[in-house]
Amino acid sequence: MKFYIALLVMGVLTQNFVLSKFLGICPFLGVSKKLGTAVGMSAAVIFVMLLATAATYPLNLLLEKFGLGYLQTIVFILVIAALVQMVEIVMKKYLKPLYNALGIYLPLITTNCAVLGVVILNIDNISEYSAYGFGFGHAMMNSFAAGAGFMLAMVIFAGVRSKLETADVPKFMRGLPITLVAASIVSLSFLGFTGLVEGLGLLG
Amino acid sequence: MNKKDIGSILKTAISLFLICAVASGVVAFVNSVTDPTIKANELAEANAAKSAVLGAAESFEDIALSDGTTGYVGKTAEGVTAGYVFPSSASGYGGKIEIMTGFDTEGLITGVQILSIDETPGLGLNAKKPSFLERFVSTSGELTVIKNREAGENEILALTSATITSRAMVKAVNQARAYFNEVTQGEGDQ
Amino acid sequence: MAEKKKISYGHEFAKGILRENPVLRLVLGTCPTLATSTSVVNGVGMGIAATIVLICSNVVISALRKVIPSKARIPAYIVIIASFVTMVQMLVKAFVPALDQSLGVFLPLIVVNCIILGRAEAFAGKNPVLASAVDGLGMGIGFTAALFCMGTVRELLGSGTFLSGIDTMIGSFVDLKGFSGFDFTEAIGKIGLSPMTLFVLPAGGFFVFGILMAVVNRLAEKKGRPKAALAGCEGCPHAAACGKTEKEECEAK
Repeated sequence: MKFYIALLVMGVLTQNFVLSKFLGICPFLGVSKKLGTAVGMSAAVIFVMLLATAATYPLNLLLEKFGLGYLQTIVFILVIAALVQMVEIVMKKYLKPLYNALGIYLPLITTNCAVLGVVILNIDNISEYSAYGFGFGHAMMNSFAAGAGFMLAMVIFAGVRSKLETADVPKFMRGLPITLVAASIVSLSFLGFTGLVEGLGLLG
Repeated sequence: MNKKDIGSILKTAISLFLICAVASGVVAFVNSVTDPTIKANELAEANAAKSAVLGAAESFEDIALSDGTTGYVGKTAEGVTAGYVFPSSASGYGGKIEIMTGFDTEGLITGVQILSIDETPGLGLNAKKPSFLERFVSTSGELTVIKNREAGENEILALTSATITSRAMVKAVNQARAYFNEVTQGEGDQ
Repeated sequence: MAEKKKISYGHEFAKGILRENPVLRLVLGTCPTLATSTSVVNGVGMGIAATIVLICSNVVISALRKVIPSKARIPAYIVIIASFVTMVQMLVKAFVPALDQSLGVFLPLIVVNCIILGRAEAFAGKNPVLASAVDGLGMGIGFTAALFCMGTVRELLGSGTFLSGIDTMIGSFVDLKGFSGFDFTEAIGKIGLSPMTLFVLPAGGFFVFGILMAVVNRLAEKKGRPKAALAGCEGCPHAAACGKTEKEECEAK
């Protein structure tokens, strides 16, 4: 149980996917202007991450069993792409409200590096955290934490950017440069969480 | 669905299938070529680390430890036990830090080497520097981390602004010492 | 792109390096740029790995452009790119294990580097083989150059070194005569300074990227070119797949 909490704290705060692992920067910079879109996008990312992990984790066991571990990257990206397409079709037909909320973001995140990143890292974690018996449940938790961290970063950054809109920025810094510098300061603030997992004694 | 549709679906499916087949064939070929080198690299790295932490040994023999880890007994050219090498790990700031620790027969640490580390460059990654690794050499007991003062016996001065990394390193070295105690005390009982 | 035009190889090559630099002008591939530019050697290693994948996938996709059905275009491209990434990953593991260690998850993640799928869609799928190869080379060099700039600033300010770790990367191929990068930490230590570690931390990555982009924007402005901006849906290789997003939600320029 402690390890589950540790994974959550790491994914959301100390090793935030966006702000300290640099995964999913494109949507972070691109879709964070409005709070509503930021939340919608993040919800879709959490959803796809969980789905992708649920699909790729057992698949990896199968690949390993046949000594085909080296096909990991190819198989994962194809499975994610196909899965997202299928989910979109199914959702559109049977889960209209959910589709209306998340549907538009789904194609965008098929090849979002955060999604492929989290499934690959989950596989790496099996050996990394072997002492804690990293398994399927942990992989799902890790994916959820990564997605939740993404959401937190997006929501905070959407707030920062709304302030930037009205700020008087020097001409040469306007646009992306000041956005990146703002991201830098947000990332800096997350440094404050350093050592939290250790301090709480979550990784015994 | 008319014939034309089926034809185009078939064509799409077949060409995709062919691309996948060729691609996995080529990847499998490259894998068969590179795999031995990758394995050899990993082995060479592990061996290099073993000799680096226990210079007195010429060859190494595996010993199984109670938790499933494999330790190594270093033998001199004459076949006398020169010391022990144990792999261990602990979580640092950026992930797991894996190290090899060498002990002489008296239990003094002869060297510490980092096998894999993913800490922040300029901070935690400084743990790789010999100046830090040397702080462990010749210690003989359970170690603790201290800051901002001279290190006494069985104390390790933490790296500047990298306490987590330092703690992880000390934890890993202590783990290796636990292995050492397990092996040597086990022998004493016999 | 429909009209027949004469291909100038020089133009295709040069555009990727400056005018359409993938990182600083088109704002593609930001994740690897920020993550791997903590040191020059890391950044350039990433750049070279991505360049190899880019050239190979451009060539193959261009050669197969008449065979791949347009409906199955994207999955076909993804398979081709992923295969090359896997091969590069295995070669790096076998011959430059130090690079594999320092790039970590970003090596397999070259698959989803927008630059590569973007070039496949925008160029290689429509142009002949040689032009695609040249385009890939130019874009790859542009990517590597941007990483080199980022890496230089971050390594010099953040670690006080330059080219550190070069011996572990190419030491087995080239005789460096014991050279393992410049280390200025002692020199600046004498005047009571230490490196600004912030610059190798993630926060420093965003900061340096922002400043570098401001400088490039200023240069572009002098030449009367528009600022770099997130290309929004136009730069996104999946624009074709998401009609709805384009209209309301995606933030175009």
